[in-house]
Amino acid sequence: MNAVARHLHHDAAPTKPKIGFEGVDVAYPTPEGGRIPVVSEASFAVGKGEFVSIVGPSGCGKSTVLRVLSGLLAHEKGTVRINGRSLEENRERIGFMFQRDTLLPWASVADNIRIGAELANIAHERRDARVAELIGFLRLSGFEKHRPHQLSGGMRQRVALGRLLAFEPHIYLLDEPFGALDAQTKIAMGRELLRVWSEYKRSVIFVTHDIEEAVTLSDRVLVMSPRPGHIVRDIAVDLPRPRDPKQLRKDARFADLVDAIWSELDAGH
Amino acid sequence: MTDLAQTAPALPASGTRRSLKLARDRLLVLVLILAAWESAGHLGVSEIWISSPSAVGERLWTLALSGELFVHMQRTLTEAALGLALAFAVGVPIGIAMARYKYANEVAEPFIMALYSLPRVALAPLFIIWFGIDLFSKVMMAFSTVIFIFMLNIHEGLKTIDRDLVDLFRTMRAPRALMLSKVILPWLAPWVIASLRIGIGLSLIGAVVAELIGSSAGLGWYIENSAGRLDTTGVFAGLVALTAIAAGGNLLVARLEKRISGWRAA
Ligand SMILES: Nc1ncnc2c1ncn2[C@@H]1O[C@H](COP(=O)(O)OP(=O)(O)OP(=O)(O)O)[C@@H](O)[C@H]1O
Ligand SMILES: [Mg+2]
Repeated sequence: MNAVARHLHHDAAPTKPKIGFEGVDVAYPTPEGGRIPVVSEASFAVGKGEFVSIVGPSGCGKSTVLRVLSGLLAHEKGTVRINGRSLEENRERIGFMFQRDTLLPWASVADNIRIGAELANIAHERRDARVAELIGFLRLSGFEKHRPHQLSGGMRQRVALGRLLAFEPHIYLLDEPFGALDAQTKIAMGRELLRVWSEYKRSVIFVTHDIEEAVTLSDRVLVMSPRPGHIVRDIAVDLPRPRDPKQLRKDARFADLVDAIWSELDAGH
Repeated sequence: MTDLAQTAPALPASGTRRSLKLARDRLLVLVLILAAWESAGHLGVSEIWISSPSAVGERLWTLALSGELFVHMQRTLTEAALGLALAFAVGVPIGIAMARYKYANEVAEPFIMALYSLPRVALAPLFIIWFGIDLFSKVMMAFSTVIFIFMLNIHEGLKTIDRDLVDLFRTMRAPRALMLSKVILPWLAPWVIASLRIGIGLSLIGAVVAELIGSSAGLGWYIENSAGRLDTTGVFAGLVALTAIAAGGNLLVARLEKRISGWRAA
């Protein structure tokens, strides 16, 4: 384990991680009345302030894991804990960014972001300033009054990210948040996300298909098997922070990590 | 990275020139219809059958001067509007309940559909017995014709609601009131508008049918009364007044629609 990760693990009481997922099974009902297992015996833990990515083949159950953590989907077996408590007892805000952008189609960009602040009970006086700040930060200036249908897919993703940040979650669940962005914007948004993360030290679970992105951002990368998914490898990213995406690309350790994850995925367990 | 910040394109202009042209062309169509109608009389179609625009206009003018026109219009408008409002107030919650309590809805569905398919016009005599020949029976007729529109449309709207949107707000633990006011009701707005659009016509039908069967005022009564005296001009005058009410109602709905559901225009 690397210095950064060790440090983070030390921060969190070793017996009580921020997020604990142990031997979890999830199944969806089939139209015929049966049940199809989607996640099987999945176990992992995320420490306080840790940034963890999940990668795995399409359909392996990554989004399903996030849905369980957010309380939207019940699991069949195993235990899911947040701060050592069950999901029903959890009082912390969980910010979930869906794979598909889910903005209010009738609301403007500013209103879509503002609703995050409203749901976080941020004081009325502070909301406008916060929204304005996020709009600048997400490079959406000039589009405040636009409706989602007047934006590009990548811009809608940024609005969704803005709503999430305005919500000031204690835990971030991000399901391919930058999937619709070009490489350059992706890197810029990743950098901003890291900035927010390092400022507040919240726990992040980040689902992505982009392995280089996972390595660039994360403390650890979890690799999932094909469906029914479970965690087959937990790879620590022992690269110093702050990380510069462009410099990292020239780093041999970076390339080794990316290779290691690729071969895990290729092995296909 | 500054090149990432695009400049915002201007939002589309309202297109005043186009709407002026539209108004002009519609007026043109109206004039053509009236001209054809007027000349039919001169070409030998008896005025007893079709009256004529000038006679109808004259009649409307007399009725307006005596104030009689407004008494009847107001009466019919009140009946239809009260029936429509009542149908909205009762139909929307029932529609929501139908989507919420799926099993109960399944039990009730054949009964609802049977009532919905029943020609409500056939209920008019019964309503007159139950609710008298005054305002109330007409309101109830309008109500019974429109309520299903609200119930079924709202139910349909809720069935097609974006689940992800609702789920997302659930993960943020949105309180019920906020969920309703920020997600569900705005989602339903286009369905409410659509119901209103259909409901205006239907509530007028309900009110007028009840008036035809038993009343002493209202446009339906005026039309019935004129027809009884073979006064075609009176019948047409009543129809024009009814059309004016319906057109006014549609205009209001169009306004409302523009204001609250512009997002669907995408
Ligand atoms: N609502 C549902 N009902 C039934 N099956 C579902 C449902 N949602 C997902 N599944 C199934 O569960 C499996 C896992 O889905 P999930 O969305 O978690 O995959 P994923 O790893 O996020 O994939 P991707 O990378 O493509 O987003 C898939 O095989 C999918 O068919
Ligand atoms: Mg997914």
